[in-house]
Amino acid sequence: MKKKLSEMNYEEEGRVESIEQDLKNKVAGMGIRVGKNLRMITKHPLKGPVVVEVGGAHTSLALSVADRIIVEVKK
Amino acid sequence: MKKILLMGNPNVGKSVFFNRLTGANVIESNYPGTTVDYTKGYMKGINEDFEIIDVPGTFSLEPKDKAEEVAVKMLEEEKEALVICVVDASKIERGLYLILEIIERGYPVVLALNMWDVAEDKNMQIDIEKLKNILNIPVVPTIAISGKGFKELVLSIKKVASVEVNEIMEKVGEIK
Repeated sequence: MKKKLSEMNYEEEGRVESIEQDLKNKVAGMGIRVGKNLRMITKHPLKGPVVVEVGGAHTSLALSVADRIIVEVKK
Repeated sequence: MKKILLMGNPNVGKSVFFNRLTGANVIESNYPGTTVDYTKGYMKGINEDFEIIDVPGTFSLEPKDKAEEVAVKMLEEEKEALVICVVDASKIERGLYLILEIIERGYPVVLALNMWDVAEDKNMQIDIEKLKNILNIPVVPTIAISGKGFKELVLSIKKVASVEVNEIMEKVGEIK
């Protein structure tokens, strides 16, 4: 199932399906690229950032950024 | 005096590295126009002395904030410098992204796989010889807080040279 990264639930795992073009270079340095596996760690309240695990490291992303990344979620 | 830039992701131990290399003989200075500091110090090499610059951490060379802007600007200003790229060995992948960008810009780079003990604790196995082969640069495992690997690191500075990023990409292509 495809959903926005910002819509993933806690502990849910998925594979990055697509990233909006102008965002690609911005998040690549933090290890988020198409085809990478990631896991949702924390979603902060009040439209705060989300924290995901990717490549053995935790990375936090602004909710507005997480909205623009599509993830194929594993069942 | 030859300059060495310490670069890497935020939170990989660059500053501990810096203190190790320089013996914390530190001069603090403000970078003009920003609130972000960088630190400068000196290290005695075998036959020559080096000026070491502790650059703010950055994920890539496309800056997203002020600290990263400083990092990129410093790299661009020091055309003749060599770079020690400090990578958290337990989070090696995102460090490799930055190192490729630095290599691509033509800087001679030494790769320090810091926090080697943390990677070992996590049961990670990193094939250093293979990395050396692919990147064609010196690769040294280090533990900055205990000082492990620093002798080898300083010795490897002499061997460093610029490499072509295309050559690396060809090798990576072969592996796939």
